[in-house]
Amino acid sequence: MVQINFAKKEVSCKLVYYGPGMSGKTTNLQIIHQKAPQEAKGDLIAIATEGDRTLFFDFLPLDLGKVKGMNTKFQLYTVPGQVYYASTRKLVLQGADGVVFVADSQKKKLEENLESLKDLENTLKEHGIDIKTFPVVIQWNKRDLPDAAEVPWLEEKINWLKAPTTEAVAARGDGVMATLKTTAKLVLDKMNEKGGGIAASTPPPPAQTAVKKEEQVVALVNGDKITRSYFLNYCQTQYRLATQGEVEDFRKFAREEELAWLNSLINYLLLMQEAKKNSLVVDRKLVEAHIAQMMRKYGTREKFDQWMASRNLTLDNIKNEAVKNAVTNAVLKQKVPDLATAAEPSDDEVNGYYATHQQAFPGGPAQHGEKIRQILRNKKKRKLLEGLYASLREKSKITLFEDKL
Amino acid sequence: MATDEHLRAGRLVFYSDTVNQIDALLKEFLRLSKSKSAYFIDRDGHLVTQMGETSGVNPEALAALVAGSFSATRELARVLGEPEFHSMAHKGDNCQIQIALVGKRSMIAIVFDGSTTAGMVALYCKELSDKVAKILDIAERQQAMHHKEEEVVDESYTTSLQEKLDRLFED
Repeated sequence: MVQINFAKKEVSCKLVYYGPGMSGKTTNLQIIHQKAPQEAKGDLIAIATEGDRTLFFDFLPLDLGKVKGMNTKFQLYTVPGQVYYASTRKLVLQGADGVVFVADSQKKKLEENLESLKDLENTLKEHGIDIKTFPVVIQWNKRDLPDAAEVPWLEEKINWLKAPTTEAVAARGDGVMATLKTTAKLVLDKMNEKGGGIAASTPPPPAQTAVKKEEQVVALVNGDKITRSYFLNYCQTQYRLATQGEVEDFRKFAREEELAWLNSLINYLLLMQEAKKNSLVVDRKLVEAHIAQMMRKYGTREKFDQWMASRNLTLDNIKNEAVKNAVTNAVLKQKVPDLATAAEPSDDEVNGYYATHQQAFPGGPAQHGEKIRQILRNKKKRKLLEGLYASLREKSKITLFEDKL
Repeated sequence: MATDEHLRAGRLVFYSDTVNQIDALLKEFLRLSKSKSAYFIDRDGHLVTQMGETSGVNPEALAALVAGSFSATRELARVLGEPEFHSMAHKGDNCQIQIALVGKRSMIAIVFDGSTTAGMVALYCKELSDKVAKILDIAERQQAMHHKEEEVVDESYTTSLQEKLDRLFED
């Protein structure tokens, strides 16, 4: 899994060399270690048996230096190829961003190559990854051996994945760097979510078809994108949280409704940006208290779960809502330090509200005083919040793409 | 903006404020436990941050080996029917290392010598691991809404990196 560390200004990717035993995985790493410029390479670590067969993994860190202000690193690993090290391969493959499958070009190695590729497919599957959408480059290694099969034959027999391929004689250093670069490019394409399994040599599709409708941007808020899929997700969740009766599996909203939801999402994003700018950290206890409060409304955990299920909501949805609530309160409190006083209604306001809503409060104002105060508190808080949204919007750059809704 | 699921699945992002908070905890831990150094590492073997006397140690190799050996320990737990081993330790003549799991996808490695005891380190390490897990939990929830900085890995970044790869790694 790509790690982006803003504290160290670092991007780190993990590439794994996979393939049958003796196909040349470790040799690939040794050559990269030899050829890479001094400033770019770390020590090559090998956990090998006495016979120099890889036991656990080989490891070579590559430091590419600063790219667009981010120090960029590739961490190369090999796995042991022998069939009986399956569990070790699974461990090393964990969190990989791309795989170089080092295949032995000799005809007699066909079965071993196929078995190892199948093993790769299964191991990725165990990590929840579909090999067809994962960056894999196949290296036809040992091209210099007399028994090496022709590349078209290898493509036909082994490369059912239609993965990009390279040719190499790793022991001589030929093709090793080209393989690394092809894989790195494929991983980068995947990171950018444009290539996603497309051969590095394939030209990218035209821009209009490259972006799926779900990934189209419906709004830009100070540079932060709101994609259509994220927006639709937000609409559905808010709808499910707010609706009292039956909920539809997928509700289609009228344009006005969509615009209202979009405004609400933009407001929330502005709050989050403000919270981040001021280094506000959400207190976990507040989030937990909000969830506990929601659960209490339903009496037991079981009933709460039933309510969530009836609305197709997950606990994550509830947690996100609790975080949203906590962030809103935290930003508001920072802007209005005496929030409790500012939101507290005066006696005149309570009496005024009662006078105009008498029919809703049978029995006189004394009996409903606290209830009216709470209604007025909420109203005042909403007004303060609207003021806050307005002031945040004034200093923000917001672009709507209504045609993408 | 991507969805939460995508973010969780696709990449692991550490923001400065999260790492600063973790650094502060590691520093305090080193003071209390009298350990030499502390490394915070993600499950995939990437080093996130380090504190203390780290000179002379190859931090990347340490991170890869710690993550590798902890993965092996996890399999060992599975073989023995245990859901997880939360910590492991290695003892040498001069130096010891204590590794503790933090949440589901990271770990802390503590290096210490005779200036302290394994018990003292383990005691403070448990506390440290809980505190760091809480910070990560909050960060993860907040992460769902912060994507601006993630855009560092965009098209121009990719192009620059490809140029760099071509320059550095010639056959």
